[in-house]
Amino acid sequence: MGLPVKLNLYEEALLDALPDGEAAEAIRASGLPHRRVEAWKWSDLRTVLSRLPAKTGVMAARTPREADSEVLALPEPVSLPARLAGLLGGPAGMFVLKAAERFTLDVSASEGASHRALVIEVPAGVSAVLHERYALDAGAFANIALDIRLGEGARLTRIIEQDAAPEAVLVVTGTVTLASHADYAQTTLGFGAKLARIETHITHPGHGARVRLDSAYLLAEGLHLDQTSIVRHTGPHGVTEELSKGAVMPGGRGVFQGKIHVERAAQKTDARMNHRGLLLGERAEIDAKPELEIYADDVACAHGNALGELDAEALFYMRQRGIPEIAARALLTESFLAEPLERIEDEAIRDALLARLRTALEALR
Amino acid sequence: MPAVKETIEDVRRLEADKYKYGFSTEIEQEFAPKGLSEDTVRFISAKKDEPEWMLNWRLEAFRRWKEMDEPEWANVGYPPIDYQDAYYYAAPKNVTKYKSLDEVPAEILETYEKLGIPLREAEVLLGVEGAENRTAAEARETPRVAVDAVFDSVSVVTTFRKELEKAGVIFMPISEAIREYPELVRKYLGSVVPVTDNFFATLNSAVFSDGSFVYVPPGVRCPMELSTYFRMNAQGTGQFERTLIIADKGAYVSYLEGCTAPMRDENQLHAAVVELVALDDAQIKYSTVQNWWPGDAEGKGGVYNFVTKRADCRGRNSKVSWTQVETGSAITWKYPSCVLRGDNSQGEFYSIAVTNGRQQADTGTKMIHLGRNTKSRIIAKGISAGRSDQTYRGLVSVHAKAAGARNFTQCDSLLIGDQCGAHTVPYIEAKTPDAVLEHEATTSKLSDDQLFYARSRGLDEETAVALLVNGFCREVLQELPMEFAVEAQALLKVSLEGSVG
Repeated sequence: MGLPVKLNLYEEALLDALPDGEAAEAIRASGLPHRRVEAWKWSDLRTVLSRLPAKTGVMAARTPREADSEVLALPEPVSLPARLAGLLGGPAGMFVLKAAERFTLDVSASEGASHRALVIEVPAGVSAVLHERYALDAGAFANIALDIRLGEGARLTRIIEQDAAPEAVLVVTGTVTLASHADYAQTTLGFGAKLARIETHITHPGHGARVRLDSAYLLAEGLHLDQTSIVRHTGPHGVTEELSKGAVMPGGRGVFQGKIHVERAAQKTDARMNHRGLLLGERAEIDAKPELEIYADDVACAHGNALGELDAEALFYMRQRGIPEIAARALLTESFLAEPLERIEDEAIRDALLARLRTALEALR
Repeated sequence: MPAVKETIEDVRRLEADKYKYGFSTEIEQEFAPKGLSEDTVRFISAKKDEPEWMLNWRLEAFRRWKEMDEPEWANVGYPPIDYQDAYYYAAPKNVTKYKSLDEVPAEILETYEKLGIPLREAEVLLGVEGAENRTAAEARETPRVAVDAVFDSVSVVTTFRKELEKAGVIFMPISEAIREYPELVRKYLGSVVPVTDNFFATLNSAVFSDGSFVYVPPGVRCPMELSTYFRMNAQGTGQFERTLIIADKGAYVSYLEGCTAPMRDENQLHAAVVELVALDDAQIKYSTVQNWWPGDAEGKGGVYNFVTKRADCRGRNSKVSWTQVETGSAITWKYPSCVLRGDNSQGEFYSIAVTNGRQQADTGTKMIHLGRNTKSRIIAKGISAGRSDQTYRGLVSVHAKAAGARNFTQCDSLLIGDQCGAHTVPYIEAKTPDAVLEHEATTSKLSDDQLFYARSRGLDEETAVALLVNGFCREVLQELPMEFAVEAQALLKVSLEGSVG
């Protein structure tokens, strides 16, 4: 394929900071991921970053306590941003969660590029909560890679709260590895950024392990949120359930790329993926690619994807009961988006996220 | 699960060496020199007696093709193709008229027989004197199907032409249409699939040998189903058909494309282009049964089927419907698509794809909604068996101005045996608020419960499996025209012998 690309200032700056190696070579050969790269076809990181100030920023990742240790060798990164996070983010702090621990990770970033890699381990039999919150300043590019490991029978509830950041770029790459009988439940509440990508790679061993991968998103004018996930079933009797629901206002853009990969050994896999989107006006856009890649015959796998507008009949019914149209639309949107959040088991977090969603909807009225 | 085990056994037994249509007729051929260069393009054009604009069109395509890279994104794998190691043109040498059927070489008649072409029709096809008059009289009682046989590269003769002419329908080899109706061909050729659309379409534009041309004038309902049999016959000859169908305002036409290919060792490259144009209120129904040589049990040989099929619903209220039954080819790369440009236009795609042995298929459709109130419907059924891999790849794209667009997509995959794969890769892009797009996909094996139920009602295992597989494909089978329904079911039966009863 053709000549090496002409690098933009942002890429030049990244290269200056990078040691020689695969990441530097990849950037020299084809730049940062852009729309010609299949996995980034709807999220052109290269173009968006080229419009941000090409400088180094500062990321603050506040955790409730010190890291238990530092990890030098991270597993093979799943994407170029994840690789950059490992190379440029300094030593990766490793946190071993304790039984019933509620671990919060508050991330903020100032103008410029900043990177961070973290390792979260949930030991066998431990049940814990990981709550991430992302709030970025204008002009920031925050790039985070999380390596999450669940031991046998471990349970982790992972919550990702992403604040609207119209002038910033966020990439969160989660690599999740489960042991047998582990239970992993992830819920994202996202409001988008100039470009935000929440990417999740899950290795699912089957053998009684369960994965739930949910999200709700509400995107206003100029905001973009990309949720990309790959769940790889490697062993038999695995269960995966995904429910993603989003509403996009005029000028917003939602991207959903979900893939369920079932290896030959993963017989009796039960995997279901569902994405539903509401387009709430002209110039709203949703792009979806729900993929199944199945190599085992005795499985039940399904995906559904539905895009459309609010139910006209429900709207009519509410209006004839005297509810003004704006209120009716907000109520319907709220009930639509609440479904994934209501699946959160932790009551306090569930109520907090539902309240947050309501506030956001009121602000849009 | 004895039933499923049996099915797997049956599928294994079926291996490709039982390919029913694997035969090769020995008749003299005229070849273009091996390899691909500007001279090859000039040779083909000269052989066809083409006007200069056509030659220039081909040369421009060839120039662009040389700059293009072969696409790699499809979920198929094959050794690199040496485009210089193939013949790009082969014509049966004697296109003479015969006085009676006795004069027709026996091997040609045999070929027609194996293809299932009735003798009377064969007479017409072969240009036997007086055949057309006799046939016209008979045609009133017999089913109406006009055949344009592509015997390797040259459409030998076109049947029923006179009767179609009476209705004003033009149905002829495209090479003739270039000479006889240059203004129509010039206007529409490459207007749906541009010369530089993709690697294989560009290659086709440079070296296409022949194909069908259909023009249905305004308000005419084509009096019969139009049909073409494609046969690849010469060793190592790639086939590059070019089909162009135009339904003018308010016209209707149904076109059947059926294929069988002879058995051989080398891989055969097949890169066809099909362009459909539907103007205001026009309707085109295009049905395909594809059963080319899939290669032997080790995946050796077999046809590479890299096809570009696209319909342009250019007019208001126009409708195009693609129906396909794909059971053959070693590798299939095919996405019959609809560009829904006219307001209220409709596109449909009904597909059954069966892969077995080492076959690989990456197939699906694209529905591009541009006009207001456009509708599309996609029903794709994939059955993977043996060591095959199958991918449904589809795009539904609704542009900002396509207010009121509707799409419904359903793709279901059935896996038979644990050595095959079934994949679903749909792309959905929505840019207008009042569009409604629905997509559903499932992957499963034959349901134990359903099998048990059918068995408990007294059906034997084999009948029960057959019932379920038929049921799985029913929504597509019922869309096939009568002429194809029998053939399609026979093909399914051959492809999954035993499991279909």
